[in-house]
Amino acid sequence: MREISTQVVVIGGGATGVGILRDLSMRGIPALLLEQGDLAHGTSSRFHGLLHSGGRYAVKDDKAAQECIEENIILKTIAAHCIEDTYGWFVFLKGDDPNYLELWLQGCDQVGIPVREVPLEEGFRLEPLLTRKAARIFEVPDATVDGFKLLWSNVKSAEKYGGTYQTYCKVQSLWLENGRVIGVYAEDLITGETLRVRSEIVVNAAGPWSAEIAAMSGFNVDVLKDKGSLLVFNQRLFNRVINRLRVPGDGDIFVPHQTVTVFGTTSHTVELPDDHQVDEQDITYLIELGQNLLEGIERQRIVRSFAGIRPLYESVEDQDQEGRGVSRNFVIIDHQKMDGVQGLVSILGGKLTTYRLMAEKVSDWVAAKLGVHTACRTAEEPLLNEQSAEVWDKARQLIGVAAADKMMERLNEQAGAVVEAIARQPLLGQFVCECEMVTQAEVIHALQDPAVNSLDDLRRQTRLGMGTCQGAYCSYRATPMIHEAFGGWERTVKEYRLLLAERWRGITPVLWGEQLRESELARALFLNVLDLKAEESEG
Amino acid sequence: MDSRDELAARLDACQKCNMCTAQCPVAKVNPRFIGPKGLGPDMERFRRGQINLDETMLDDCSNCKTCELTCPSGVKITEMILGARRAASKARHKNTMGLRLGLRGYILGRNEYLGKLGVIWPTLTNQVLKIKLVRLALDKTLSISKNGPLPAYGKPLKIQPDKVGIGTNTNKQVVYFPGCYTRFNEGDTGRILIRLLEHLGYKTTVPDFHCCGLPLEANGQFGKADKNGRYNLELMRPYLEAGIPVITSCTSCGLTLKEDYPKLETSSAQLIGAQAYDLFEFLWQLHEKGELPLDFQEVRASYGYHPPCHLKAQGIGTPALRILGLIPGVKIRNLDAGCCGLSGSYGFKAEKYKKAMKIGSSLFEAINVGSQHGDFQSMTTECGVCKVQIVHGTGIPTEHPVHILAKAYRLID
Repeated sequence: MREISTQVVVIGGGATGVGILRDLSMRGIPALLLEQGDLAHGTSSRFHGLLHSGGRYAVKDDKAAQECIEENIILKTIAAHCIEDTYGWFVFLKGDDPNYLELWLQGCDQVGIPVREVPLEEGFRLEPLLTRKAARIFEVPDATVDGFKLLWSNVKSAEKYGGTYQTYCKVQSLWLENGRVIGVYAEDLITGETLRVRSEIVVNAAGPWSAEIAAMSGFNVDVLKDKGSLLVFNQRLFNRVINRLRVPGDGDIFVPHQTVTVFGTTSHTVELPDDHQVDEQDITYLIELGQNLLEGIERQRIVRSFAGIRPLYESVEDQDQEGRGVSRNFVIIDHQKMDGVQGLVSILGGKLTTYRLMAEKVSDWVAAKLGVHTACRTAEEPLLNEQSAEVWDKARQLIGVAAADKMMERLNEQAGAVVEAIARQPLLGQFVCECEMVTQAEVIHALQDPAVNSLDDLRRQTRLGMGTCQGAYCSYRATPMIHEAFGGWERTVKEYRLLLAERWRGITPVLWGEQLRESELARALFLNVLDLKAEESEG
Repeated sequence: MDSRDELAARLDACQKCNMCTAQCPVAKVNPRFIGPKGLGPDMERFRRGQINLDETMLDDCSNCKTCELTCPSGVKITEMILGARRAASKARHKNTMGLRLGLRGYILGRNEYLGKLGVIWPTLTNQVLKIKLVRLALDKTLSISKNGPLPAYGKPLKIQPDKVGIGTNTNKQVVYFPGCYTRFNEGDTGRILIRLLEHLGYKTTVPDFHCCGLPLEANGQFGKADKNGRYNLELMRPYLEAGIPVITSCTSCGLTLKEDYPKLETSSAQLIGAQAYDLFEFLWQLHEKGELPLDFQEVRASYGYHPPCHLKAQGIGTPALRILGLIPGVKIRNLDAGCCGLSGSYGFKAEKYKKAMKIGSSLFEAINVGSQHGDFQSMTTECGVCKVQIVHGTGIPTEHPVHILAKAYRLID
């Protein structure tokens, strides 16, 4: 058994976990993050991609609203490359409750969310697909945020300050001695090796898995696992976030995310932290609800569906509330106070928009315990340095503006080498994934990253396979590169199957119209021409 | 469904199969061109965000519309590319190169005015354009290739502004849309066509049309193209309302009338789509009704036939081949060897000249092989600039098929 020691172990590679890793590292506190899968494979990528302005919580939950608007402003500065400042509209429909509208305007005013009313005519001109049932439109500083990019930027920044992380490393139990947590036992899922990590403090930031982590040592934390299902449309139907102005409910937000539109959600309490299965009834239900904001929604091509688990904190006052009623606030549980055991802290609840604030609060707590007095700097220091305009221009010349801009945002400081490679060998600039315009050079670069252990990891880093064709063409085009990186045909074919099975899982609930044609084409390609068989996904 | 909805639906229809790329004449010769799917539906998904696109890449498309013809899902690929060009032209870079290309676009799009100037003294113009120094100057100043086969000017087609108006027998009346090439470079073809229609008992009116707008559109002059369309539609309006067909002999003008004009916002735009005919499409209809006289004299000649891309895009097959097939003695072979490469004014551009010649190379080869084997002595094709390019690439004489038909009717020698 290998033993490592560090000062802090962070469990969970979601937004909160990587935020804590970066914050602690910037304060000079050695920390190691352990993640059972790939970064952002859970809630942090299974969401709308919405950077809240706080408007959604302005009436019911003024504390959450306040935190959202403050963090919204901070993140637009420190993580500009992960955010598209689209703005968002709250659309009040004919027949909606005017009292709620009044309360909403007051709520926004109180917490300082800037609201501008958009004249209807302008609204319909800017968003031609918006329902003509719209009676009033209000603009707020909502934006869209790329979870993958945000998480990777945090990790890369943390690494610069000495932070470390290991993916595919699953915590098996907490290491307890004399009423004190002094580390964790974990299994490296790639090598099968068991790891013992000694630390002064363990931070449980495992999101929907938090209860499981705490339960390893018999502690109880109340996490309500609330499943939300979402639909992905083939193209940007709107260019702004479109919310319905009413009591927050199901199916009332459209988010233009990169090249697609994400629409959701639903809310069901579930048992398992990885229950990502989308029910067919939920799809029908969502499409019905979507009609309210987008008439003819059923004619728009849906490429897939997915579900994520909101890890909501259920405080004693909230006990009789269902998913939507539970506060979006977060809470830090000091297990010394709760269970009399030192060295363990759990962070629960919250939202992606407030991940930095959550990380700050946890890091403050950890720093205090360790007697470190360095202040938090994550609200001021950008996640990245400015990109060199020279590299950016060169990339645009080589592969075109659309592809270059997306690639530069993804690769950031590592872009130089990839651009150089394309300049040397122009054919490396051809797209492996044409839908999302991912170059061969970028794929090769990503495959060299030790954190990329599967085709599915590659997808999360590059967006390969996330476009219209859902992996039908890019996955086989990536063959020689995967073969080179992972070695062996058996492994290569297995990677294919896993990726296709994962894509297929998202497509099957929405299998009609154009996506059905696409799937038939893909099926002919893989099952007949390439003689592959689908395989159940493990994740 | 409004037009945005329609376009969105067609974008959704793309299955990413790349059949369009496989058939694209430009992609065939330029491995760095991302192809119609890339430039059209793939990038369209990105364009729906607020991304400015690399306009030089958009210019790689030659607007031949082979992609739209190929697409099994009915995606309007060229239309998407042109739409993006339209948007990019509004935000074009203001630098010297941009200015030069802008000026070139202005000039190449204005074949109508060039024509009007050129025919004032055709021989002089032709001589001047043959001077190497002049061509070099055009190349250096306007990036108009010094090697490109700029067409020669000739005796212009006389316009017959309607004096008689709409006659009593509208069944035996047509409007002829000659297009700039026939009007200024090859007036003969237009005169023969009018005689031929007369021979068939049709009175032909040729109003003073402007350029159809396609060259303007292909050179980024979208506002002017729309303006021309509306102007021409206004001239056609009384005839269209009287149910009189509009005949074209140029396949690009024909495609524009059929595809682009119906999208313009005027009342006659609703009518033009159904009333515009390619000459041979019109004649074949007459034949099907038994109204085409078949008293042909034998024409002992053999031809290779090149179907222009914009004829294919009209989706009417190859009516000229069918009509010429009725003439005794005529031997005709459909080469169907792909795009000639010139594609309007694409091949006149300095940076495109070589690509255009490469695109045309399979056609040139088919022509050379065919003529060397004695399969045919000359070529025939409806499109004027295809003809210019074929002559430039092979030296084989080429004429519009109406000439052959006129010979069969003993209208010309």
